[in-house]
Amino acid sequence: MSQNKFEFKEFHWLMDMLQTIDVGLIVIDRDFHVQVWNSFMQNHSGKPPHEVIGHDLFGQCTDINEAWFRRKVESVLLLKNRAFTTWEQRPYLIRFKNYRPITGVAEFMYQNVTLIPLLSADNSINHIGVIIYDVTDIATSKLQLQKVNSELETLSRTDRLTGLFNRGYWEEQLASEFQRAKRTKQASCMVMFDIDHFKKVNDTYGHPAGDEVIRATAATLNRCKRTTDVAGRYGGEEFGVILIDTIDKNATVFTERLRKQIEQNSVVHEGRSINYTISLGIAQVDETFSNYKQWIERSDQALYQAKEGGRNQSVVYTGDKD
Amino acid sequence: MTLRVLICDDSNMARKQMARALPRDWDVEVSFAGNGAEALEVVKAGKGEVLFLDLNMPVMDGYQVLEAVRAQDLSTLTIVVSGDIQPEAYERVTQLGALAFIKKPVAVTEIETILDRYGIRGDTRGDLREIDADIQVNFLDSCQEIANVAMGRAGDLLARVLGVFVQLSIPKVNLIAISELRMALQQVGDGEDLSAVCQGFIGAGIAGEALLIFDEASFSDIAELMNYSGDIDDAVQLELFMDIANILLGACLTGIADQLDISFSQGHPVVLGQHVNVSDLLKGNAGQWKNTLAIEIGYHIEGRKIKCDLLLLFTEDSVPDLEQRLSYIID
Repeated sequence: MSQNKFEFKEFHWLMDMLQTIDVGLIVIDRDFHVQVWNSFMQNHSGKPPHEVIGHDLFGQCTDINEAWFRRKVESVLLLKNRAFTTWEQRPYLIRFKNYRPITGVAEFMYQNVTLIPLLSADNSINHIGVIIYDVTDIATSKLQLQKVNSELETLSRTDRLTGLFNRGYWEEQLASEFQRAKRTKQASCMVMFDIDHFKKVNDTYGHPAGDEVIRATAATLNRCKRTTDVAGRYGGEEFGVILIDTIDKNATVFTERLRKQIEQNSVVHEGRSINYTISLGIAQVDETFSNYKQWIERSDQALYQAKEGGRNQSVVYTGDKD
Repeated sequence: MTLRVLICDDSNMARKQMARALPRDWDVEVSFAGNGAEALEVVKAGKGEVLFLDLNMPVMDGYQVLEAVRAQDLSTLTIVVSGDIQPEAYERVTQLGALAFIKKPVAVTEIETILDRYGIRGDTRGDLREIDADIQVNFLDSCQEIANVAMGRAGDLLARVLGVFVQLSIPKVNLIAISELRMALQQVGDGEDLSAVCQGFIGAGIAGEALLIFDEASFSDIAELMNYSGDIDDAVQLELFMDIANILLGACLTGIADQLDISFSQGHPVVLGQHVNVSDLLKGNAGQWKNTLAIEIGYHIEGRKIKCDLLLLFTEDSVPDLEQRLSYIID
């Protein structure tokens, strides 16, 4: 008798514990009728236990995705196996509004949910325990981290001065375009160009003026290129452009347009007008290349010829001339 | 008259467990074989009138033995003893002429029931003998065998949910340095498109993480088998993946815990990534652990391009407790 009393008392504080724990606890039977609804559930949903217990869960919580939740519960019953769902999969089981005016950053509570088959005394499973964890803090910081990481990724591929891709990222793009062109056997061109007598610009007008010239060149390049073309700052005053799906004859249309625009525009820096020109080398991808570096070498050679030929011109690589 | 019994299993532990499960008063002479090819030799030499046969073995598996026994009309009564408990495995061996099918780990009463049902035990009552005494079982071997049984249970659930036959491999067990883990994972999949989920477990001093790595090429077939229609976008992939992960991780961990007579608390699974490659998985994991006990289990679905790998990584602190638990099973 005293043993029973003790057990009853023990049961009492155990229930108190389950009531106050800061985790949502629901027990449902096979017909999805609620059997247990602890304080966490009451406080976040605003529904007291006597309104919920004995009633259909979906009738009480209309925001549960019924088909999805039924499927999860049925697999737990069938396999007698726990099931876990994460906030990445589905942000919440039951939508609870953010309740923290100061530290709450999300609109609603992100939840991880565990479903547990509950064994009855006769070894059969007629009840399912549903545990709801508030993972809002984890979820929001992870989402923020992802956002920051993607911003960092953008930053890490951008050249600060011009806003074009930097050399590292541009070369990565070139490498993958090389692989693509090789696989699809489609033509692709790359253009290497640089500013003629750039040292003289720096020496005559100063480095800030040189920077302005580089920036203006990038801006003109951006205006002339198609959206699919990939432009990057390769070095100091050297630029690279990948012209996807383009044969070298058509590439010269682009390079000539760019060359003429730059020739005609002048950059104004501190009241002084600077005129300058560019030289361009064009090379079409060749199936004999074993890597993209050979592609760069060819356009470099074409650029060299453009310089040798008197600058302010575009030259298409046409094979060894010697 | 003394009956000649052959126990064929690639695991020392399974051979010992099987030998111990034989009725002590049975008048038998027991031989052992480590794979199917060895077993056939022993049967041909007349030392395998009754054959207890495992299914998943290197060199020559149980199915091939059954085929050979039938083709060569060898005289042996075969009882399959297997961790692979899929209904289809049972059907296949029965069609190939096996007399009975016993699930691992073997229970003494079950053996007796089968022997009596087929009148194999007869009246030949011998003396109590310790036939298993000189089989030495090392730690890794017993880990492999419990993994084998757990793998079979998880495979069975997967087979039933998807309505397919799951091809099981032999679990690989290694004590490795964490630095070697990357290499071990590289063998799992060298593709760029993997999904991975990780779940911690702990109980009775034994702890670790279960890692499920899924080849994303599998998703279109999984979706078809689970009657998912429409686009298989990232959200659907994650949903399918978590369903499979719940089944395999849950059943595998419960399978191991049941055999060790303990229970595990399972942490919430953590999605390590979608569309990642193996080196991304271990990024930033300097870790406090130097060594790990790694059990690798591969699942492949017959006739489909569904492939996944389950890795159980135990902390080095767990090894003594695990050894202790395993010794309870063996001795």
